[in-house]
Amino acid sequence: MLMETVSFLVVRLGVNYVALPAAGVHGVLTQAEAGHEQTVTAAGVTYQPVDLAQRLSVLTDLSGLEMRTVLYSNGHSYGAIRVEQVVGLTDVERKDCFPLPPQFQRDERNWFAGMMLYQDQLVLILNPSWALGELADVVPVSVGQAKQIVAATPAAVSGSC
Amino acid sequence: MLRAARGQQQSQATIRSWNVVVFSVGGMKLAARTEDVGGVWPWTESIPVPSRTPFVQAMLKRDNHVMPVYDLATRLSRKLQGDPLLCLVARHLDGPMAICIDAEVPCLETVDVAAVRPNIREDVETLGMVTIGDEDVAIVALQHLGQSMQGAVRS
Repeated sequence: MLMETVSFLVVRLGVNYVALPAAGVHGVLTQAEAGHEQTVTAAGVTYQPVDLAQRLSVLTDLSGLEMRTVLYSNGHSYGAIRVEQVVGLTDVERKDCFPLPPQFQRDERNWFAGMMLYQDQLVLILNPSWALGELADVVPVSVGQAKQIVAATPAAVSGSC
Repeated sequence: MLRAARGQQQSQATIRSWNVVVFSVGGMKLAARTEDVGGVWPWTESIPVPSRTPFVQAMLKRDNHVMPVYDLATRLSRKLQGDPLLCLVARHLDGPMAICIDAEVPCLETVDVAAVRPNIREDVETLGMVTIGDEDVAIVALQHLGQSMQGAVRS
């Protein structure tokens, strides 16, 4: 039986592990390669800075040697995402991706497409459109609405990726 | 007919009392119906999750299962007591949810439903208040925990 898998780049921001769909990764640069400008230009494309840690209210130390800049695009927008560490690349079966539990009811439902386990760590699957600033933070939803969102997501049936 | 009547009497008799788990959060005694509790085990470190849902800002991993953590202590403005702390699993309507409770081992009690009074507390969802020993104890509605926080903004 053919198993459907999705590739993710797993990165670390503070204590949180976050997965980016690998299809959108255009490159991973060291501090020296990325330079000191916030905006990064590579292969003629300009990647706007994305302060993911600030948007997620996560404490990070981006001064370490393992800090990397991930050049990312979803085809519409281009972002340079600074992360504390690139942990690795992984292929995940769709069935091993799970939706965010419905008890999480607010903006985070827009931030994360779901979650998975990688090397025994809980990894949150980032919603690239939100990360690249294409989606505004959502207004609070009621429990009923949150359930509907979960129910309406393919993740509820076949994984969150 | 008689059989049905007997059955009705029996079910009325069985609902005259509730079995509850009595636990404490920051020294405050609380209770929950046993059927709303999925288990109690030692607390393990939770994983913070970026979240704007009040009191739901972490997850707990146990083997290959993860469940959201409800920070009841913070909601009640209490500081957890003892070591090692315990984890009470709430059978929430949306799925199991972990709650960190004091180290004091929970006990089982049976309470008379007629003795359950309406609750005057507004800081947590409850099924009512009951006196256990000398203490007034709120019976926390674990299935609905957090639902009255809808629309509330955490400061």
